[in-house]
Amino acid sequence: MRQTILSASVIAAMLFCAGVQAQSDPIKIGVVTPLSGTYAGIGQQVKWGLDLATKEINASGGIAGRKVELIYEDEEANPAVAVQKAEKLLQVSKVDFLTGTVNSGSTLAVGQVAERNNRLASTTVSFADSITADKCSPNMFRVNARAGMQSAALAEWLAKAKPNANVYYLGPDYEMGRSTVAAFKAAAEAKGAKTAGEVFAPLDNKDYSPYFGQIRGARPNVIYTSVAGNDTVRLMTQMAEFGLNRNLQVLGASGTVTSQNLAAIGKAADGFVTGVGYSTTIDNPINKKFVADFEAAYKAQPDLYGADSYGLMYFYKAAVEKAKSTDTDKVREAMRGLQWDTPQGTKTMRAGDHQAMQDMYAVQVNDGKFVIVGKVDADAAIGPDTCTKF
Amino acid sequence: MGEFSRPASSKQINSLRLLAVLFFAISCVFAFIATVVEDVFFLRLATEAMIFGGLALSVDLLLGITGLLPLGQALFFGFGAYAAALILKNWTVSIWLVLLACMLSSALVGLVAGLIAIRSKGVYFALISFGLAQVVSKIVFNTVELGASDGIIGVPNAQILPGLSSGQPTVFFLFALMFIALVYSLLNYLMKTPYGRQLIAIKANEHRVAFLGFNTWRFKLSAFVLAASIAGTSGALYPMLRGFVSPELMFFQVSGNAIINVIVGGTGTLIGPLYGSALLTGLRSVVGSFTPHHQLVIGVLFMIVVILFPRGIIGYLAPMLDRRCQKGQGTVQQEARGG
Amino acid sequence: MAEALEWMQYVLAPQVINGASIGVAVVLMALGLTIIFGLLDVINMAHGEFYAMGAYAAVILIAIGIPFWWALLLTPLFMAVVGYAVERTLIQRVFHSKDRHTLTLLLTFGLAIVLEDVLKIAFGANPMRIETPIGGSIEVFGLFFPNYRMFVMGMGSAIVAAVWIFIFRTRVGAIVRAAAFDRHMTASLGVPVNKVYALTFALGVALAGIAGVLLAPIYSVFPTMGRDFVLIAFSVVIIGGMGSIKGAVIAGLLLTQIQSISSLYISPVWSDPLLFGCMVLVLMWRPQGLFGRLGHG
Repeated sequence: MRQTILSASVIAAMLFCAGVQAQSDPIKIGVVTPLSGTYAGIGQQVKWGLDLATKEINASGGIAGRKVELIYEDEEANPAVAVQKAEKLLQVSKVDFLTGTVNSGSTLAVGQVAERNNRLASTTVSFADSITADKCSPNMFRVNARAGMQSAALAEWLAKAKPNANVYYLGPDYEMGRSTVAAFKAAAEAKGAKTAGEVFAPLDNKDYSPYFGQIRGARPNVIYTSVAGNDTVRLMTQMAEFGLNRNLQVLGASGTVTSQNLAAIGKAADGFVTGVGYSTTIDNPINKKFVADFEAAYKAQPDLYGADSYGLMYFYKAAVEKAKSTDTDKVREAMRGLQWDTPQGTKTMRAGDHQAMQDMYAVQVNDGKFVIVGKVDADAAIGPDTCTKF
Repeated sequence: MGEFSRPASSKQINSLRLLAVLFFAISCVFAFIATVVEDVFFLRLATEAMIFGGLALSVDLLLGITGLLPLGQALFFGFGAYAAALILKNWTVSIWLVLLACMLSSALVGLVAGLIAIRSKGVYFALISFGLAQVVSKIVFNTVELGASDGIIGVPNAQILPGLSSGQPTVFFLFALMFIALVYSLLNYLMKTPYGRQLIAIKANEHRVAFLGFNTWRFKLSAFVLAASIAGTSGALYPMLRGFVSPELMFFQVSGNAIINVIVGGTGTLIGPLYGSALLTGLRSVVGSFTPHHQLVIGVLFMIVVILFPRGIIGYLAPMLDRRCQKGQGTVQQEARGG
Repeated sequence: MAEALEWMQYVLAPQVINGASIGVAVVLMALGLTIIFGLLDVINMAHGEFYAMGAYAAVILIAIGIPFWWALLLTPLFMAVVGYAVERTLIQRVFHSKDRHTLTLLLTFGLAIVLEDVLKIAFGANPMRIETPIGGSIEVFGLFFPNYRMFVMGMGSAIVAAVWIFIFRTRVGAIVRAAAFDRHMTASLGVPVNKVYALTFALGVALAGIAGVLLAPIYSVFPTMGRDFVLIAFSVVIIGGMGSIKGAVIAGLLLTQIQSISSLYISPVWSDPLLFGCMVLVLMWRPQGLFGRLGHG
């Protein structure tokens, strides 16, 4: 009995403090992102995107009159580290919101930490469908496009540009690579493409030439690949080395060729097409300003990770201002169905599975630049809501 | 040095005991303070340090006592973690049943791995254990039934007693502390038995032990199985704390960190690896918040220890402590019995 | 019959030749490892990082306008200096302790962690590349092969041959073998054994560096690139016999052929377990590896 009174008064005191704090203290956002390790390049884009948006928001008065403070923690793209850092941010730094995770393992694990601590989290990078499908969480929101959406845009472009394509699939042999290939295969076959064959190479494979014989033998006119990062550099350089990319259209997942590895791939990337939620050439005033500011600040081009992370800050700002609070339940309600403007056009957060809806693009590499060659509307790209947890 | 080794080591054991008592005393004080100030993060971080301390103990049993360098001990740690996650999710949340199952199953896995690895000696053993962990972690990374690269999330809290679960930070910290104290005492006791002396003798000179008519293979294999079981049971605590497992738990980074913990703490001292684990878990957490180049900091620290203090912090402190408190030996022994 | 011939030509032959070009790369990596182990008893865990350093050194040299061929010559010299310095300042400090096997392994393990992070600080995490110095491809049995790969195979074989001649046919090589066989005896004959050790370490590191430059145009350059070779290079050295040059060459070519041809039939996921299985089988049959170590018969 005495305990109840005690804890009630403690809670009351805390609420009071929180009420007082709300007027003066900054809103803290924790960013758990890989600043070292294999995904450090992506983490860099995430950081730049968030930093730029935060600078703008703070310059124009903050969120609901409160300044925004970003607190970074390096998660090394390792879920075990990510979870520990997320707990630190939630319990020591007392952040209001979490974001930044890149690989889907970290995103899922951090989502669970957020759930257990009754806070909200968001990813701006992970594109595994499961995060907003069978492994969805009421506390996790995704503002970037998921794998299925990317496939939809790319398959649409393929059907128009190369009707009756004969596609060979080459993926990295792990869960994510396989499911990305499977998603695109389903989308492409639904639009009339044939399958010439498929092969999965180990992750971090150094030499793809052992697979080239099989690919040649299957005589495809299109190759789809879901390898990423350094693996793409090797795959594409080696394909050019062996003259395999002549008379072949190369397609890929959105992480296959990005501004981080484009320079290293060089000419071998020309002609490559991907389905993606962002391109620097998207024609709207927000994007033009975003690209100009980004380049001025960081001497580098933004890619989809930078753009999605930039957009996230405005998503959170809109939600908090709509909820007039940073309280988890209120912000969650505000986020559901929220529409907000980003460099990628207006996005809508679908209430049923916390997956953002956005227009998707087919983008081609031309002379070292990404050029938009096709577009699919948000409604056509999103796919069904399969989340049953909430 | 050799002639004086007997008396020196018996004295050293006393100071090691003192340091062990100190370790567990500090841990209890820490738990008390953390609970009073209603801290959650540091308690759970310390619990993680204990769990990795268990892994470090298993490495020390092999490296420091038996003289085998295991570069793939994360294999058993990760195996225990996955086994516990699956049992907790599908069958029972009783911590006792989970730990028992993990203890036995990881010993079995250790037996199989040991039959492959123990045949080889020295650096061959190191590289075989490395390869074994590498291969198994890749298989787990690719197995959809085990969550593949995503791992398994949604592991429920384990129940210790009705009303006490691994979700309560203080409760679970004390539980992990007790577990580690138990493992530590068991290993400490073993070292005084003829069995333990055989292991130490194998480290000193394997051929001589064989000439004396002992089957060194059997001793090494049993130490390997015991180490695997300790690593697996420690690993089983991980999903109870963090609620998930991922293939990264089996990666070389975990094995490498365990070795760093052991070397920095003090090889062969048993209590050193626990200090090392606590110290470096804290250090990694702190340094990582300031710079993304924490690997550089840890790597340089590790190299300094290897070159200048190859016996590690405790291996360096213990003899110093001996010289200081030779007089207080009796009281120390009493305290040690109490702890 | 015709079908079988076609299979040999279009499926098997490219697999064998590609496997051989990867094999030469693996042998180059394993060669440095095995020489360092054979003489110094040191498992060089930082070998992959030296390989990466070599590639980055070439990136710098090419960026300041030095042609690839000069970079190919200068990088191993630079890496030899690095190797010499590492042996003198780090390895020597723990070399004379009782359990030097473990300590040197741990020391180079620490060095690997540090070097990888240093490369990341200096060059960033994003991949870089070196343009292929020889473009185009030639036709062998009606199949295309890039000229540069042919060059790498030729160059790699030449390097292996040169190292072999150096160790087994020169006076200095004889001293190296003698020091590996009995260090005290060699020292008492007036040979500066410590210098021989440092130079051999430098040679091993230079070999890793030259592999880095040679392979950079094919495999691209990034801080963690050395990890590619860790498992396979160690397996090669173990199977071939630690410290055996012949063993490294034979095991390196054999293992990459097994991997290459098996990838026609089994999922590549199993290529690592297969490699490892081969290693365990060989060790059960011959615990010391296929061939004896340097200086021992």
